[in-house]
Amino acid sequence: MTTIDSGERRRAVDARPLITELIDAPTVESIAGEAWIALVGEDEVLIPIPGDLPVDPLSAWVDVVGPWTGSVVLTTGRRTAAELTRALLGPAAPAELEDEDVADAFGEIANVVGGNVKAALPGPSGLSLPDVGDAPAVRNPADLCRIDVLWRGQPVAISVQGALPALPLTH
Amino acid sequence: MKILVADDSRVMRQIVIRTLRQAGYDDHDIVEAEDGADALAKVGSEKPDLVLSDWNMPNMTGIECLQALRASGSAVPFGFVTSEGSPEMREKAANAGALFLIAKPFTADTFTEHLDGVIA
Repeated sequence: MTTIDSGERRRAVDARPLITELIDAPTVESIAGEAWIALVGEDEVLIPIPGDLPVDPLSAWVDVVGPWTGSVVLTTGRRTAAELTRALLGPAAPAELEDEDVADAFGEIANVVGGNVKAALPGPSGLSLPDVGDAPAVRNPADLCRIDVLWRGQPVAISVQGALPALPLTH
Repeated sequence: MKILVADDSRVMRQIVIRTLRQAGYDDHDIVEAEDGADALAKVGSEKPDLVLSDWNMPNMTGIECLQALRASGSAVPFGFVTSEGSPEMREKAANAGALFLIAKPFTADTFTEHLDGVIA
């Protein structure tokens, strides 16, 4: 029997799934809600209402590398990130928070949300250590699952976003 | 009893220690380690009765720490507290000699469920 290589099989193997085929907004919302209740406090609910992020936001994210590769990014205002840090530290919170306290706490929330998002995706996948700063760029708007919620009335965005296509190299 | 809590996040170490207290394990000595290499060294110097370790840490991961401990002949009871609880990781943890894997986020009840019987 003669087989004709039409390239279809190769394309199917090469094709990487979009995040919207793998996870939906209610699942991300549920993962984030559980993380908030366990880490921040049992009365700390996330309300699924979009709000306007401040002009100078802070993001914390982890990268997932596997059959789907991308980042799980939490973004909120710097003041809200500091308030989250105080909530996590509880009575152990210092009078004056250092930037590294906020990076540690906000990064750890991203780590817990990202770890649970990773567990909901096909594996095996690796998870990076958390990073904090300006959010990685959205490479492909179709490869994005984003929820917008309010915590204590302040906007928080959680974005599960693909890392492809790669950004052009800068010279 | 002495418990070694290993996590590269200081905030998470505090949350783990707070949760231990909430679960009723409030009369134990706690020692902290900031990564797997620090945990490995402190198992030698502090002689803990139990290690609660994160998985994903710089310098040395939790699983590398556990493997190094077992390779050196240490049988210290070891459990993971990690944000990743996939079946593959649970299997890898068990094969390396971990007693349990607690996935973050956790509650005091989760701690009681896994630690009763391990902590006298």
